[in-house]
Amino acid sequence: MDTLTAFSVITLAALIHASFQLGVSMVTLLSGHAVGKKLAAKRTLRLVGAFLAGTLIMTALVISTLSYIAGIFFNHGATPMAWGTLAFAMIIIGLVVWICYYRRGPGTLLWVPRGLAKLLSKRIHATQMSAEAFSLGATSVFTELLFTITPAVAAAFAIISLPTSLQLIGAGVYILVASLSILLVVGFIGSGHNISRLQRWREANKRFLQFAGGSALIVLAFFLYINVVVTPVVVARVG
Amino acid sequence: MSALATVIKQGRRGAESFDRGKLYESVYAACLSVQSVDGLARDTAECVCNILTDWLENKLEITSSDIRRQVAKALEPLHPDAAYLYKHHKQMI
Repeated sequence: MDTLTAFSVITLAALIHASFQLGVSMVTLLSGHAVGKKLAAKRTLRLVGAFLAGTLIMTALVISTLSYIAGIFFNHGATPMAWGTLAFAMIIIGLVVWICYYRRGPGTLLWVPRGLAKLLSKRIHATQMSAEAFSLGATSVFTELLFTITPAVAAAFAIISLPTSLQLIGAGVYILVASLSILLVVGFIGSGHNISRLQRWREANKRFLQFAGGSALIVLAFFLYINVVVTPVVVARVG
Repeated sequence: MSALATVIKQGRRGAESFDRGKLYESVYAACLSVQSVDGLARDTAECVCNILTDWLENKLEITSSDIRRQVAKALEPLHPDAAYLYKHHKQMI
């Protein structure tokens, strides 16, 4: 895989990661509760900032761990077999996203089991300290791994195919782009916007986001399968 | 009398008497959450509490969902953003 393709895969995988909404839901709820409790604007921003730091660090840990493991198993880049398996898993998860990422009904109810959703809501409501907000941010990334694991593995495979000097930049690009949605929401809240408007927008566009996320996973899967699995075989046969 | 109305909560959380103070705080918090100024938030919360107290007349038992629906209905003309958040804050995750 050449450098440009690897960076494209990393960026698209990170955009897919960014399209998942658990972190956005949690940070919206966190800021709503903080403002509602009349916490000073500075303290609200500190909580939201700590949440963002938690997501950034957890995303960094996930992508570096996956890259490290991929580096151990595939010294000279992932095998076509590994890419093929990953592409298959991506298609399955893409279909699952299409079918059940959002629950039916009003609001933006996500796939998260109701017990866990209640627990998260309770913890968000009780959050007073930055350390708690930080751990909530980290939890949001960890919980969403069920869906983000395949784009993260694709990015990890792409990262290990890069020259050593560019691997850190590749991981940095993934972390930054994957956290874009939360960065945007934090900016929106920080600039004093009304979270009700944000939530209305999310509710109105939830089906589009769901379709876009699932479709992007399937598109990336086909691209990887053709580019990394089929093309080398065809090139080898044709000579 | 509204003070005697019993609120049945969801799940296994049992029941409790209607608490006007608790309702006031929740509406006030919802208004503040959507960047409402303090005075407007207090006035809105007071007004919604009065509407709910009238509605509770002659009711002995209500559910917490009934309260949420009625509050959202009362808030809608006063503060649409707060009404939306009050109605949907449990449907965000």
